[in-house]
Amino acid sequence: MQKTVAQKVRLGIFVILGTTLLVSALYFIGNRQNLFGKNIELHSEFTNVNGLQLGNNVRYSGINVGTVKAINMIGQSRIVVSMFIEEKIAKRINKNAVATIGSDGLVGSMLINILPQEGTSPPIVSGDTIQSYTKIGANDILSTLSVTNENAAILTSDLLKITTKIIEGEGTISMLINDTTMAENLKLSVIELRRASSGANEAIRQLNGIIAGIDFDESVAGVLLNDSVSGEKVKKIITDLESSSGNIEMVSAQLDEYVSEMRAGEGAVNKLINDEVFAQNLDTTLLNLKEATNRLNTNMEALKHNFLFRGYFRKLERQKKKAERDSLKKLKK
Amino acid sequence: MKGPENIRSRAVSFFTEIGEISYFALRFFREVFRPPFEFRELIRQCYNIGNRSLLLVCVTGFILGLVFTLQSRPTLMEFGAESWMPSMVSISIVREIGPVIIALICAGRIGSGIGAELGSMRVTEQIDAMEVSGTNPFKYLVVTRIVATTLMLPLLIVIGDTVALLGSAMVENLKGAVSYQLYFNEVFDALKYSDIVPATIKSFFFGFAIGLVGCYKGYYCSKGTVGVGEASNAAVVYTSMLLFVIDFIAVFVTDIFFEVQ
Repeated sequence: MQKTVAQKVRLGIFVILGTTLLVSALYFIGNRQNLFGKNIELHSEFTNVNGLQLGNNVRYSGINVGTVKAINMIGQSRIVVSMFIEEKIAKRINKNAVATIGSDGLVGSMLINILPQEGTSPPIVSGDTIQSYTKIGANDILSTLSVTNENAAILTSDLLKITTKIIEGEGTISMLINDTTMAENLKLSVIELRRASSGANEAIRQLNGIIAGIDFDESVAGVLLNDSVSGEKVKKIITDLESSSGNIEMVSAQLDEYVSEMRAGEGAVNKLINDEVFAQNLDTTLLNLKEATNRLNTNMEALKHNFLFRGYFRKLERQKKKAERDSLKKLKK
Repeated sequence: MKGPENIRSRAVSFFTEIGEISYFALRFFREVFRPPFEFRELIRQCYNIGNRSLLLVCVTGFILGLVFTLQSRPTLMEFGAESWMPSMVSISIVREIGPVIIALICAGRIGSGIGAELGSMRVTEQIDAMEVSGTNPFKYLVVTRIVATTLMLPLLIVIGDTVALLGSAMVENLKGAVSYQLYFNEVFDALKYSDIVPATIKSFFFGFAIGLVGCYKGYYCSKGTVGVGEASNAAVVYTSMLLFVIDFIAVFVTDIFFEVQ
């Protein structure tokens, strides 16, 4: 009897142990799939789910926060993925969050990453649909790589042609590689360039020193650089100067023409300057004019004393005196 | 002419055996729900089958997990996928290797034990004596043993799987510096109900098959002490074959209902 009781106890322990392990395993697995906690349902629409399966993890900022509950196709290309999200984490996920489909490692199972976005937005509630973003899939990457490979093949072919030409001594690059004299010249050119560069550096340094030495606050340069009114004035002066310069150029051209004509012996002025006979005639004419003028003065004086014209001259004097008196009266008033 | 006759007689013998086992199983289902119920004998058998197999199952499970992990590590390391070790080992052990290996071990220990025990009782005419004395030997000897194996094997498999995962975790902890907590986190991340439920249901069938074949071979034992040895040996061989057939069917059915990918 004692042995039977001990057997029963041992059997009881064995059964409880086995059952506990089984139930614990079921609990932990269910807990991982959020079957026992409080969850909310969240949706997102995709055009390609890349092999996502029911029960795949949902991560928010890298933390497992739920699992994929359902994947339903709507229409021709829209796929709605429904997710279970833990209620305590859901309070921290905003409505502007974006869902993307990724994979757990390079060859791991697929999962949904919910990425938080900047800006303020209320937290999600059960039944909400958040935005989605479809990443570039492996197929897209492979197709791009295929194009890259084709380009690489073309490039390699071209490079082969170029290297063949270089080896055969054709072209400038081949000359650069094979011609020692040219290489020496190039070396010297490089040395000269280096010197020139050094000189240019020195010049720039000195120029910088000069510029640094200018007092931009008090000097004319400062006024020109900083005072907009003065700048406008200077601009106007320069415009006027340009206009004047144009006029001067025109005058200069005309003068040049006159001078050319003069030199060519054309025109009255040239005659005045160069023709001696003309000058003597002109001088004689002037003397005759002077003598004639004197004689005309004598004749005029004789006319004043003539009885025929005496009245006329007296009348002119009286009018003159009257005009003087009138002007004096006006001044007194 | 001897060849075809030999094949024919073997085929007839095979189908006769299948038919007899089927009748035996039907008789079990008739007797199991009909009183009186032999609870005390059932508990004794549960103890003999469950508790007394526990050490063997634990040692086997521990070595199974340990060796499986040690052998898989280099291959996974070549791919740089050591982090997949917990998920790979757990799914393999829980879904397939654990139930099958532990069932085979139990078939060796329990099936042969039942075959030998009932065979001895048959050749020493103890079963006949029970019938004469008015006790139903089928209910007392067969039903209790089949029910005990059907109930105890799932528990043994659950414990064996757990010990195997502990052995695997120990190797990962020592060789890969993976903590036990991380290891079991990865294990429960990888496992799903579609892994554990079919395996548990399958283990009930394994237990039933071990008890049924062991009891059948022992109950209909003949040819004296030689027959006892043959019954014991045949129980192990037939049970092992039946386990693989059940496993195949279970995988097929699981694939349909649980969409294992």
